[in-house]
Amino acid sequence: MRKSVLQGRRFIGFALLFLLLTLLPLVLSRLPKGKYYLHIIILVLLYAYLSTAWNILGGYAGQHSLGNGLYLGVGAYVSTVLFLKLGLTPWIGMWIAGAAAALLGWFVGYVCFRYGLKGGYFALVTIALAEAAVYLTTNIRWVGGAMGLEVTWLGHRPLLMQFEGKTGYYYIILVMAALSILYTAWLDRRRFGYYLVAVRENDRAADALGVDPLKIKTQANVISAFMTGLGGTFFAQYFTYIHPRLVFGEGPSVQILLFAIIGGLGTVWGPSVGALILVPVAEFTRAQLSGSFAGASLLLYGAVLMLVMLFMPRGILGVVKNVSQKFGQRGKPTTSELSGQGGG
Amino acid sequence: MSITLSFPLLAQAFVSGTMLGGVFALIAIGLTLIWGVMGIINFAHGEFLMIGMYIAYFLAAKTGLDPYLTILVTVPALFLIGAGIFRANIQPVLKDPVMNQILLTVGLMLVLQNLTLVLFTATPMSIDNPYNRTTFNVGPVVIPLSNLLGLVGSLVGVAILWWFLQYTDMGRAIRAASQNRDAATLMGIDVRRTYLVAFGIGSACVGLAASLMIPFYYVSPLVGSFLGLVAFVVVVLGGMGNVLGALVGGLVIGLSETMGAAILPGSLSRVLTFAIFILVLLFRPQGIFRRSQT
Amino acid sequence: MSMLSVRHLTKDFGGLTAVDDLSFDVGEKEIVGLIGPNGAGKTTTFNLITGFIPPTGGEVTFDGRSLKSLKPHQICKLGLTRTFQIAQPFPDITVLENALVGAYVRCPSTTAAKQKALEALERMRLSHKAGELAKNLTLIELKQLEIAKALATGPKMLFLDEVAAGLNLAEIDAILELVQGLNDQGITLLVVEHVMKVIMSLSQRIVVLDFGKKIAEGTPDGISRDPHVLEAYLGEEEAIA
Repeated sequence: MRKSVLQGRRFIGFALLFLLLTLLPLVLSRLPKGKYYLHIIILVLLYAYLSTAWNILGGYAGQHSLGNGLYLGVGAYVSTVLFLKLGLTPWIGMWIAGAAAALLGWFVGYVCFRYGLKGGYFALVTIALAEAAVYLTTNIRWVGGAMGLEVTWLGHRPLLMQFEGKTGYYYIILVMAALSILYTAWLDRRRFGYYLVAVRENDRAADALGVDPLKIKTQANVISAFMTGLGGTFFAQYFTYIHPRLVFGEGPSVQILLFAIIGGLGTVWGPSVGALILVPVAEFTRAQLSGSFAGASLLLYGAVLMLVMLFMPRGILGVVKNVSQKFGQRGKPTTSELSGQGGG
Repeated sequence: MSITLSFPLLAQAFVSGTMLGGVFALIAIGLTLIWGVMGIINFAHGEFLMIGMYIAYFLAAKTGLDPYLTILVTVPALFLIGAGIFRANIQPVLKDPVMNQILLTVGLMLVLQNLTLVLFTATPMSIDNPYNRTTFNVGPVVIPLSNLLGLVGSLVGVAILWWFLQYTDMGRAIRAASQNRDAATLMGIDVRRTYLVAFGIGSACVGLAASLMIPFYYVSPLVGSFLGLVAFVVVVLGGMGNVLGALVGGLVIGLSETMGAAILPGSLSRVLTFAIFILVLLFRPQGIFRRSQT
Repeated sequence: MSMLSVRHLTKDFGGLTAVDDLSFDVGEKEIVGLIGPNGAGKTTTFNLITGFIPPTGGEVTFDGRSLKSLKPHQICKLGLTRTFQIAQPFPDITVLENALVGAYVRCPSTTAAKQKALEALERMRLSHKAGELAKNLTLIELKQLEIAKALATGPKMLFLDEVAAGLNLAEIDAILELVQGLNDQGITLLVVEHVMKVIMSLSQRIVVLDFGKKIAEGTPDGISRDPHVLEAYLGEEEAIA
C-alpha cells in the first residue's frame, strides 16, 4: 500500500519541511517586501488548512459541500463575539467556536444525510444554509448586522491572539496546517479513512459490509465543520474585521473546495498543492488590478475551476496518481483463467 | 420594533408578491427545462438573467429604446449565448459525473459574475421609464404598470413555452429526451441537438424575463446571485421539469418574499425563502407536484 | 437450532405483493438454494432479510436474534453478509482495499484487518490482483471480489446473489468450487441462482418461489420432480435434471 507521511523516512521529510518553514519569517524579514510575502504565505497556509478540512467531507467522503463558509462564519463570529462582549481570549474562544461549528455540522449533516441528500441536492442545501446565514447575521444587530464586527486592536497581545507584525499569526497557522495534514495522513491509513472512501465509492455496498453510511458522513461533516470553525477564529483574528458576506458568502466556500479539487480530491496533499499554486497567483492578479477586489481573484478561480472540470477533473495529484498507477503495475494478464490459477 | 399588520399592507404585499411571482416563474421555467431535460443543475442560470438585464439596460439606456422592445433582442441573444455556452463548455462534460458538471457551472457563474463586476463595477443601475411611474390604484393597493406588465409578459411567456412543448415536434422531442434519453435516441431523436435547443430555450426564457424586469428592477452584477437561487427554490418546489409547478412555485415564493417582508423585520424574508427551500429538499425533493409535466 | 428463521415474511409494493407470507429455515452450516422464475421475489427476499427494504409483515431471526428494524450494517455486524447480483465494488481503490473495508468490521486495527483481507483474497484466488484498481477487473474477477469482500467480514452466514450469472462454463465450475469451499469452512449459505447446475450440485435443500410465494421446498432431487415447480418454470423442465 501507499507510503504515508507518518511512516519512517517520509515523516522525517515532513519534519524537515516543517522545520524549514519555521525559519521562513527570519529569512523573509531580510527581504524588502518580506512582510508582503509572509502575508501571502499565511493566506496559502490558511486556505490549505481550510481546504484540507473540507477535503475530509468532500474528497474522502465524497460529499461536496458548497457552503463550508457557514462553519467559517460561525467560528469567526462566535470567538469574536465572546471576545468583544466578554473579553474572552480567542485562545479559549476558538475552542468554543469550533465546538459550536461542530454542533451545527452535526445537526446539518445528520438531517441532510438522514434524508438521503446527495450530490447536487446536498450542494444546494449547503449553499442555501450559508446564504441564510448571511441574511440572518445581517439582521442581528447584536452581532454587528451588515456592518459586521471589528476585532478591537489592543496592540501586541499574544495572550489575546493579537500580534504586531505577521510572524505570530504565521506560526499559528503553520501549526494548524501541519496538524491538519498529519491528521489527514493518519486517517488515510485507518479504518475511518477507508470507511469514508467506501461511503463515497458505493454507500450501499459499504452498508452491506458493516459500514454505517449515515454515521460516517455525519462524522465527516462534524470534523470538517470543527476544523473549519477553528479556522474561522484565526480568520477573524488575522483580518481583524468580519462581516456576513465576507465569511458566510460564496467567496470562501468556493475557494475552499476549489483548492481541494485542483490539487486532487481525497489525497493528503491535494488541497495544499491547490492552495500553494492558486493563492499566490490570485493575490498577484489582485495586486496588478489595483482598485479591484475580490472580483478579480474570484474571476480567476472561476476560470480555473472551469478549465479543471473540462480538462483535468481529477486534479493535479489525481493525474499524478494515475500516472504512477500505470507505472506501478507489473502488467496485466490478458485473460483471467481462474481454473489455471486454482491449481484445480 | 413594532410590526403593524394592516389589511392595506398585506393586500399590497399580496398583489406585489403575485406580480413578482410571475416573473420568478418565468426565470425558473428556463431552469426547470434545463434541469428536467438534462439533469444539469445550472448554477450559472441567474447569471444568464443578469447578462440579459445588462443587454436590455444598455439598449434602453443608450438608444432610448422602449424597454419592452428590447425583448426582440434579448430573447434571441440569450438563446444564442445559452446554446453557445452549452456547446463549448457543458456538452463536453455531459458524460462525466454529475458533480463535475455542477462544479463547471459554478465556475461559469463565478466567471460571468466577476467579469461583469470588473467591467461594470457593482453600482446598481436602473432606467428611468414611464412604466414604473404609471400606477393603478385598486383600493389601497398600488399597482405599478411595469410590474403588471411583468406579470402579464411572464404568463404569456410561460403559455408560449407550454404550447411549444406540447404541440411542436421539437417540443415533444425535448419532453421525450427528458423522460428517457435512450428511448428517445432509439426513436431517432437527435438527443444532442435536443439538449442544445433546450438549453437555448431555457436561456431565452430568462432573456424575456430580463427585459420584463428592467422597468422595475435594478441591474447589477450580483443580481443573478440571489435570483438564481430563487429560481432553484422555485424549481425544487414545483418539481424538476414541471412547467406548471414552476408557475405555482414562482407564485409561492413571490408571495413569501413580499408577505414575509411585510411581516418579518429586515431581510428575514430571505431566510424564510431559504427555509422553505431546505425543507422541501429534505422532505419532498421531487416537488409539490408529483408528476413531471414536460 | 436453525441459523436463519424466516416467518411469514411479506412485502407489499402498493398494489403488488412481491413476497407473500414466506417462511423457511436455514440450519447451521447448511447450503440452501433459493430459486424461482424471474420476478419471483428472490432478490427482494434478500433485501428484506438483510435490511435494505423494510418488510410489510413477518419476522426474521438470525442466530437467535431478531432482525426487525435493523439496518444492513447492523445485520452485517451480527454475522450475516450478502453479496449483490450486480457486483458492487469500490471502483477507485485497489482490490485489497476493497476487501479491507469488509475486514474492518471485526478488526478495527489496520494490520489485523489487512491480514484478514489478504486471507479472503487468497480464498477467492484474487491475491495476484491485490494491487489492481477494482474498476479494472473483468466480470468474473469482480464476482470473486464481491464474495471476497463479504468473506472478509468474517460472516457466520452468507447470502450469495446469482454469483454465476454471466459466466462461462469453466468459470462456473471454478466459482462452484470456491463457494463449496466456503461452506466446508463452516459458513452457512443461502444461495440465489438461476444457473441450475450450480444450485442443484451445491444445495442440500432448495426453496422454490413463484410470484413471491413458496411453492416447494425439499432436496434438489425432490423439487426437480415436483409438478408445481415444473409448471412454474414452464419450458425450463429440461434445465432441471
